[in-house]
Amino acid sequence: MNQQHQPRRSFLKTKLVAAAAATLIFLGLGAGSALAQRTDILGAGATFPAPLVTAMADEYRTKTGGRVTVNYQSIGSGGGIRQFIEQTVMFGMSEAFLSDQIMADIEQRTGGAAFNLPITLADVVPTYNLPGVKKGLVFDGDLLVDLFLGKIKRWNDPRIAELNPGLRLPPLPVTIVHRSDGSGTTNVWTSYLTRVSDEWAKKVGYATSVNWPTGVGGNGNEGVAGVVMNTPGALGYNSLSYAILSDISYGYVVNAAGNTIEPSYAATTAAADIDLPADTRVLFTNTPAPDGYPAAGFAWMLVYQNLDQNRAIANRAQAEELLKFLIWAIRDGQELSESLGFARLPQAAIDLNFEMIRQITWQDEKLGEKVLREMQR
Amino acid sequence: MTAFNGNTTKTGSAALATPVLSLGRRYWRDRLMLGLLASSTILVLVPLFIVIAYVVVQGIGALNWDFFTQELGSPTRAHTGQPTGLVHTIIGTLVVDSMALIIAVPLGIGAGVMLAEYPDHRLNPLLRLLNDTLNGMPAILKGMLAFALIVKPMGTFSGLAGAVALTFVMLPIIARATESALDIIPWSIREAGLALGLPRWRVILSTIIPAAKVGLVTGILIAFARAAGEAAPLLFTSFGNNYLPSRWTGWLFGPVDTLPQRLYSLAISPYKQWHEMGWAAGIVLLVMVILLFITARVTVRRA
Repeated sequence: MNQQHQPRRSFLKTKLVAAAAATLIFLGLGAGSALAQRTDILGAGATFPAPLVTAMADEYRTKTGGRVTVNYQSIGSGGGIRQFIEQTVMFGMSEAFLSDQIMADIEQRTGGAAFNLPITLADVVPTYNLPGVKKGLVFDGDLLVDLFLGKIKRWNDPRIAELNPGLRLPPLPVTIVHRSDGSGTTNVWTSYLTRVSDEWAKKVGYATSVNWPTGVGGNGNEGVAGVVMNTPGALGYNSLSYAILSDISYGYVVNAAGNTIEPSYAATTAAADIDLPADTRVLFTNTPAPDGYPAAGFAWMLVYQNLDQNRAIANRAQAEELLKFLIWAIRDGQELSESLGFARLPQAAIDLNFEMIRQITWQDEKLGEKVLREMQR
Repeated sequence: MTAFNGNTTKTGSAALATPVLSLGRRYWRDRLMLGLLASSTILVLVPLFIVIAYVVVQGIGALNWDFFTQELGSPTRAHTGQPTGLVHTIIGTLVVDSMALIIAVPLGIGAGVMLAEYPDHRLNPLLRLLNDTLNGMPAILKGMLAFALIVKPMGTFSGLAGAVALTFVMLPIIARATESALDIIPWSIREAGLALGLPRWRVILSTIIPAAKVGLVTGILIAFARAAGEAAPLLFTSFGNNYLPSRWTGWLFGPVDTLPQRLYSLAISPYKQWHEMGWAAGIVLLVMVILLFITARVTVRRA
């Protein structure tokens, strides 16, 4: 009995193993043939546009029935530029455009340009904590510069009162709060202050992180917001979507044309309504646009003109899917913007993007032109 | 004391205990020492339990069916209550960690055998130096090494690159543990094998390694536990992915999500829901390591 039982068990075991193996092979083959058309696209870079780009990726995946997966990892603008140059990602993302030096290096290495394609807009608002004062305190450029330089020490300073007649301001000391980490938000904010003040340009300048003359640091948008909300008399800066999300008071800013602008997605979009250069590498903080919010800037997608020169892109099919996604994100993907707290691209930027995409090639084939034509049909 | 040789040690220790104590005092001294030992053990364990308890309390709320079956996607999913989870991260961790084990175990044990069994080999001083250097190297540098060796030539981040980076973490630990496990096997066992006419490699393979099995497994487990918690070497090798790869080859040759690296990026995100998912990822990682420990221990004891 026992002797009979033993072989039967091992037979069963073999059968089970065989069945499992067959299932695995079947699954593998099935997946292999059904997913043959599937494409994975890899991008990385700036943190600020990550919620928008990943939401676009979700939407695009649904739209293509799971055929195209866009994997975007937010590693910061600096990392995005670095990995773009290292050619480990199909597209980079940055809140600062590529420098002339990098552009020239890439031109020399790949025989084609590096394109900076605006994908969305960043806007930075002054956020504050003043008991009894809701949102809408009015600032102008010079006032903000002197506040962030530490020259204006109290909130009841006559220069603040002058811009806000009829408002009773408490005699609280001003506590400046800034980012302690490198940040595109800081880049936009300091470039605005640089544009309005020679003194700021000389003493501090603009970059993703600068030597602040005064104030305390907070890590990330949430760090700055946290300090501001817990410190009466604090003045910081946050991206507009973050200020709205965390229900923190933010100010209005007088722009270059002299109009007091309430921060809004429309005002941010309007800020970019200027004569953009063909490569869109421009800072438009302190915008001359009459209805534009003055502390705003682009966030760019970075792609190579000669896609075949990017080692991260393996074949033409991948290049084609990347282009399709870019075009979709620039055109249809903008629909997602407002619900996520982002401003839409202005039409001028979209047109320039398409102009650049037309020049994108794969092994001398005008692939960008072809894909764009197909998608516009 | 120096006059004592091996044969007289017994007498020596008896001599040391000569001061006559009453039974009661000996008993209390024993109790006191035991109490001290017990309290230091507790002191060591308390932080561990606090960490485990805190992680569980913070993360348990995010552990649901979706967490184990859905992909992460965008933060909008977490905001709006759409299904989001870390299925791709959990599978990715298993894939990358086991790949690293497959590479590191034979190489590490090989190096350990070389150090312990062929102590006079000319390459050994160099091997020991390199091994110690690798052990002391910061994990982020191991990631950069894998970036230069695998990611750059392949043109993309990959699970394979992550596994190689973790291999660099595991290798020196396994090699060292193997060496010390083999060192405590008495030479008489080797001599017995050689006396039977077995070649040296056969003696090592059939008698020394089985005898040192428990020590080897312990070394592998320590190496694994160390590597499983490392995020730094994975940041620029396996890189991360918000989704499952669309083909199975993607686990090897495409960017792969892993628990420590995803935990880090969830933790630094500005979203409350993601913070909670980060804690939950911590629970899963803990449970995975503990389960592996138990399985390995039970298997070794049975075999």
